[in-house]
Formats: sequence, C-alpha cells, structure tokens
Amino acid sequence: MLTRRAFCLAACAVSLATPSLSQAADGPIKLRDLYNKDRSFSDLAESLKGRDVIVEGFMAPPLKADAAFFVLTKMPLAVCPFCEPDTEWPQDILAIYTKRVVDVIPFNVLITVRGILELGPYTDPDTGFWSMARLGNARYERF
Amino acid sequence: MIHRLSVSLIAVAAAAAAGAAQAEDIAQAQSQWFTDAQAVIQATLAKTPNTNRAKNVILFIADGNGVASNYMNRLWAGQQAGGMGDEYIQPQEAFPELALVKTYNINAQTPDSAPTAGAMNTGVKQRFNLINLGENAITDDCGTVAGNELTLFSELMTEAGKSVGAVTTARLTHATPAAVYAKTAHRNWEDEVPEGCTAQKDIATQLIDAMEAGTVDIALGGGARYFIPKGTATPNGGKGHRPDAVNLVERAQAAGIQYASDKASLDAATNDKPILGMWTDSHVSYEADRPETEPSLADMTKKALEVLGGNDKGFYLEVEAGRVDHANHDTNAKRAMIDGKAFADAIALADEMTNDEDTLIIVTADHEHAIAMNGYCGRGTPIDGLCMDVANEGIKHADKPVLAADGKPYTVVGYLNGTSSVLIKQEDGSYTAPEGRPEITQEQAQDLDYNQQVLIPKDSETHSGVDVALYAKGPWAHLFDGTIEQNYIFHVMDYAVNNGQ
Repeated sequence: MLTRRAFCLAACAVSLATPSLSQAADGPIKLRDLYNKDRSFSDLAESLKGRDVIVEGFMAPPLKADAAFFVLTKMPLAVCPFCEPDTEWPQDILAIYTKRVVDVIPFNVLITVRGILELGPYTDPDTGFWSMARLGNARYERF
Repeated sequence: MIHRLSVSLIAVAAAAAAGAAQAEDIAQAQSQWFTDAQAVIQATLAKTPNTNRAKNVILFIADGNGVASNYMNRLWAGQQAGGMGDEYIQPQEAFPELALVKTYNINAQTPDSAPTAGAMNTGVKQRFNLINLGENAITDDCGTVAGNELTLFSELMTEAGKSVGAVTTARLTHATPAAVYAKTAHRNWEDEVPEGCTAQKDIATQLIDAMEAGTVDIALGGGARYFIPKGTATPNGGKGHRPDAVNLVERAQAAGIQYASDKASLDAATNDKPILGMWTDSHVSYEADRPETEPSLADMTKKALEVLGGNDKGFYLEVEAGRVDHANHDTNAKRAMIDGKAFADAIALADEMTNDEDTLIIVTADHEHAIAMNGYCGRGTPIDGLCMDVANEGIKHADKPVLAADGKPYTVVGYLNGTSSVLIKQEDGSYTAPEGRPEITQEQAQDLDYNQQVLIPKDSETHSGVDVALYAKGPWAHLFDGTIEQNYIFHVMDYAVNNGQ
C-alpha cells in the first residue's frame, strides 16, 4: 500500500478552522459541476474562480514521473489517455498542480483535492499539457 | 400484446377451456395475478400471424444491451415513472414476438460489435473485428478483402427501389452503423487504411460513396472528425483527423447531400434530398449529458422516418443506441440505463409513426456485457442504488440495505471486470484490497458518475457471450421464435420484404 508523504493534512488540520479535505462544510465539488452541457464553464465554476475549492475524483495515471502535476478525472482510468496523440480524452477533467511532487495514488481510489481554481487556457511548459481548468497549489488525500 | 408461446393454439385453447371450467374451485381465482394471466391466455389465442409483404424494415440495436442490461433499463424506466420497476413494460416488451439470439462470431466466443452487426446485415457470421467480409477474410489483412466482400441488406433494398438510413449515437463510422454500408478488414479503419491497402477504402469514404451512389439516403450520428482533414476545423469546432487531406463533408455537399451539424440544421433540412448529420466530432453525448443543440435518438429517428417515409416503395432503417455499450464499458450503470430509456423512447416513436400492416420492427442488441444483478433486494429497490432488504410485511423494500459478509452494502447492478475493481494496484504492480471494499452510501451509489464495484481489474469492462433478446412486430415477425443465430435476423428481414419469394 502506498504511503502519503507530501501533504501536510495532519499538520493542516490542527486548527479547527481548517477542515480536512473530505470534511468541508458543503462537501467536495464534483467535476461535472464545473461545466455546462455545452462544455462551457458553469456559473458555479465562474463563481469559484480564484478561490480555494475541494474537488473529488480519481488520479489519472501520471504523464510524467516525479512531477508536481496530475490530471483529475471523474471516473477511474487505468491508462493515461493524455500520453498518446489521437487518443480520446475523457470529459470533465481538471489539471492539478500540486505543492509537492506527486505521490501517486492508484487510479481507482477516490480522492479529494484542495487548491485554487484557475480557469482559462494554459499550456504547461514542461509537459505541453493544455488545460482550460486547473487547481493550483493543491493538496490531495484519499476520500 | 403479449409474447408468443411455443405451444400450438389448439393445445392452448384446450387448456384454457379446462382452466376456465375449474376456476370456481381455485382459491386464488380472484387474485389480480390470476386474472391478469388468464387475460394473457385470451390475448395469445387471439393472435394471428401477419403474412403481409413488408414495405419497411426498422432494425433497432442497442449496443451491448443484453438481457441483464435490458432488465436494468426496464426497472430504471419503471421507477422513473413512479412504479416499483419490475412491472413496467418497455415498448419493445409489448411486441408479440420474442427470440433469444446467439451472438458469437466465427472465431470469438465473446463477440465484438463489428461482426455482430455485419451478421444482421448480411445473413452470415463474420470474424472478430471485421465488417461484412466472408469467412475466408482475415481481420487486419487488407490482402484478404478482394473476393470476400459480402452483399449487404442495404444494397438489396436499394436494388428493390427502397430508401436506406443509418442512425446512431456512436460515430457514424463505428461498427454498428458501418455494417449498413461498409466492407472492411478492420473496424478501426475509420478514416484511413494501412499503407499499400488498395482493396478497400476507409469507412468514412465508404459512407460518402454509398450516399453518392444512393445506397444510403440519411445518416445521422457523430464522428465528424473522420470526415474532415487534419489541420481543418470540423463544423463542431473541433479538429479534423483525416490524414489524406480529403474533406468528405465538402464532397458530400457538392454531391447535393444536405449537411447538418446540430438539431436546428437537422430540423431545417428538407426531406427531398439525402441528409448527412453529425453533431459531435466523436460519439454523440450520453443522453444524461446531451446539450439541447444535439438531437436525441428519438429526434434522429423521427427525422429519418420522415425522410425515408417519402419513398412509396419503402425503406430500411437501422437505429443504434450506441452508448449503452460505452457506459457499460465504463462500469457506469446509470448512464447505461438512461441511454436505455432514450432507446425505448425512439422505439415507441417509430412504432407510433409506422403501421404494423407494412412495417417490420425488430428490436435487439448486438451482444451482452459482463454485467449481472446482485440480490436479494426488496421490491422497489432503486436499480441505480444499493440493494435494499426484503420487507416481511407489505410490498416495498425495507429501509436498510442488505449487507455482505464484510458488513458493507452493495449495489444491485454489478460487473465482473473493469477499471473500478475493488483490487487496488500497489507500488509493486500487484493488485490487492488491504482495506477491503470501499463502503458506499446510497447517495454515492446513485450518483451519475458512480462506477459499480467489480472484481477483475481491466482497462475497460468487457462484453460477454451471453444471449441477447430480440423483440419483433409486423409482417413475418412470427418467424422469430426460440433460440436463433444472429445471422438469421437478415433472413427474416429479407423474407419479409420479398414475402417469401
């Protein structure tokens, strides 16, 4: 079993005012809540832009080892869909930029991620990964 | 109407007469269960075979919608209508004729969607992953195409002066719709063939060839990227994928084929010219996610029937609910059942828009999935949720979920394999479940994005070789009976339109 190493949830939770990732007052946001059916951002996403949010999902198999980056998907994906050209990308994904190097959690374990929601096009200079929505300065844990 | 029984009418009549004579002595004779069943006897006795010549044939295929998936869809639709679910009758389940279909391919116990649709469209079983080539063709070998091309039902109907349509929620170049018009050594050759392969064209080009030739008159679904060159934007705002720089949409339009890229343009298309419609670059949206700009499967079916119905000589239409299969592959039962309801809505509409006297309607699936139902759940247990216990009194389920030996609840719907395995990949590459199964709440289980717990870890849940059901009504529908081979479906369609000649 993997051990989490990078994220300071225990330390962060010492203050009662700081909820643990899975115990936010309103519960975690689902990825689909960030998008409308026409793939534009939802009113909720726009209202949370630049704010600290908690989102649930699954860690897609990483594009790159020892990166501070992974892709959050709404359903478990056994293989990295972003690693080959021409493969079909799933809908409702979120690029996650973490505070520390990612300690991989298996792809079929539900996790919650907390970070600052950023909207708008961005191309990652290291991976070339293009995203429309991201969480920055993120931490994560098993749900 | 009710399903046909395999005993002779004379025997049934004799048994019913005897039963009626004894009914007064039977304690349960006033039970509604008893009287309803008696009514079914009378309805069955009143059945007469329809031996008219079929002017029209509609073949409905819900991809991956075997008997278990169909059961799931029935309960979902019934519960959405406010009932327990079990008692609900889907439109196709009211059809008078029923058969079970054996779906295997020539070389595959577990079938894929290419040769299964091919079997329905040609009358012979085919090899795994290829479409409409004879048994001597080898999958992925272009060199075996020449001389092995099969005659299609669509070609026969065109020769007979009928119109032809293909409607799908998958890509128009995907296996099931492709079987209406294409012949290919591999189902994946959607917009290119291997270098040096000259014996066949890619599937998208074959569709436009067929539309130009008048073999296909309306084609509606998804997959625009395979009709648009790389580097060119699709009408849906995405990117083209064709490596050969050919713009098939422009070619189609130059040939007088109307092109529709959304519901509004589909509605605006006239019924006197062929229509090619694609709302998405890949598959059409799941019904649960469908924006209003995309037509539903029922919307597409309606337009196709309006266009094809203009031909006095009749038509052949294949309608596929392609994404029941995809949701099952994702072990996402909820989207599968919602698409199953959309399939049923399209069937109901087609039944309403056509006449049993001249239209043979067949409803089936190409194959089943590795899907099964858990028990023992009480009546009214939400089919998209946890298995709730049977109540000893009353009818509706108890308020508590049934617990497994590990003390945790479980969902009604389950799959045998898939990405959502309870076995978790460890750092050393092994798969184990040190913490046991995840404990799930009803809210989690009923979430649209929930993936059912499965045992065997796989990148994608698999099909299974289990039989699928076939429901039929209209001319010669009574030729469907018992357990049949999948390729027999073509033969009934062909017999019905020719009235046995």
